[in-house]
Amino acid sequence: MSAAQLSRRDKILLHCAPIDGVHVDDRTLRAAVERACKTEMFAVQQNFDKAATALVQTIAIPKEIIEWEQTETFIASKRQPWKRYAENPAFLATGIAVFVIAIVGVFQLIDRLNRFPGEPTARRLLTTASSTHAMMLDPVKTDAGALSDFLFMKHRLVHYDVPPEFADLKTLGCRVFDDEEGQRVAQVWVVEKKMQFFMFPAEPDPKTGAAKHFNGWRYVDQDHWAGVVKESNGVCFMAALRGSEKDLAPFVSKPKS
Amino acid sequence: MLADATKAQEIFHATLREAARLAVDGEAPRDRLWFFRNARWRCLEAGEQGLQAENVDFKQGELADWAPSQIEKLEPEQFAIWISAAPDPQRTALSLFYLNEFSYRDLLSLTELKPPELSKLLGNGRREFQAWLDATFPVTQI
Repeated sequence: MSAAQLSRRDKILLHCAPIDGVHVDDRTLRAAVERACKTEMFAVQQNFDKAATALVQTIAIPKEIIEWEQTETFIASKRQPWKRYAENPAFLATGIAVFVIAIVGVFQLIDRLNRFPGEPTARRLLTTASSTHAMMLDPVKTDAGALSDFLFMKHRLVHYDVPPEFADLKTLGCRVFDDEEGQRVAQVWVVEKKMQFFMFPAEPDPKTGAAKHFNGWRYVDQDHWAGVVKESNGVCFMAALRGSEKDLAPFVSKPKS
Repeated sequence: MLADATKAQEIFHATLREAARLAVDGEAPRDRLWFFRNARWRCLEAGEQGLQAENVDFKQGELADWAPSQIEKLEPEQFAIWISAAPDPQRTALSLFYLNEFSYRDLLSLTELKPPELSKLLGNGRREFQAWLDATFPVTQI
């Protein structure tokens, strides 16, 4: 290749070409040097620079300065060029992919932590709650806590209890029906915030048939309806209303004895 | 930068003292090229106090095959004087470049120049030096 074939950019860069070819820390300069290394123009420049450097090297440095450290001591070692890695498209693409995978993983983990036995049934009942009218239920006006006996006496439903947190609320109506899976579900309509209660069998373990237990209150939401679920004695209780978790939180934040 | 060994030594010591003072105060410089950056400014400051080189346009000559043999005939002090007479930032660029201790990016950082500027200063410096060499050691003498 002749000097005339070099681009203008290469010719500009080559003026800064390192003398010994060691200190090339710039990709574009390195590429320009590689392209020009066989041209006569570059060879003349390199010989010129080598001669000048050799002359500089002969400058006597005072003894007391030599007794100090080597030149390298005054040039701190370079820090990790993480910016250069960050600018590399391959690293950038990999980084973005790992970041997205990590976010998906975190969402999956959070979702899994929030799952509880009986959640599919709870979601299905939220749909039922959204389409139920008060007139569909038998009128029952009493304290919600008193419904346990009513459900046992009239429908033979054992442990269909309203937790103490919701026991004081006044009811408007009640009904018992079989859901899609043939489970007996008790539905109660209360005055407070047009809330509805559902009591249904807890999800059974497929191997043993025993009800799966979980502790505390678990939230579930669907189509602007929110529910809070608790399991006790193999029966799940869900309080549902149109709204969000924060509308239900005051009821379950302070457990009543 | 100064073509004066005594002044250069004073600046070396002053820079060392400054570095030691900062280290004692717990403010050790984070810039890896701090030592040279500091020394450069001290050199420029010192250079302004002495005799000033005239602002003249040097002649330029194309780099010649015989330039190395011309340079061999020079005393290092002559080269130092020639560089110290160059206007800054060309003086800084040539000094640091021919020290042959710095990478391209280091040079850009120390001289605070953009790549085309550094390139132009080095390229012009070579050609001006070649013209001076041709005047000092005519081709017939080689």
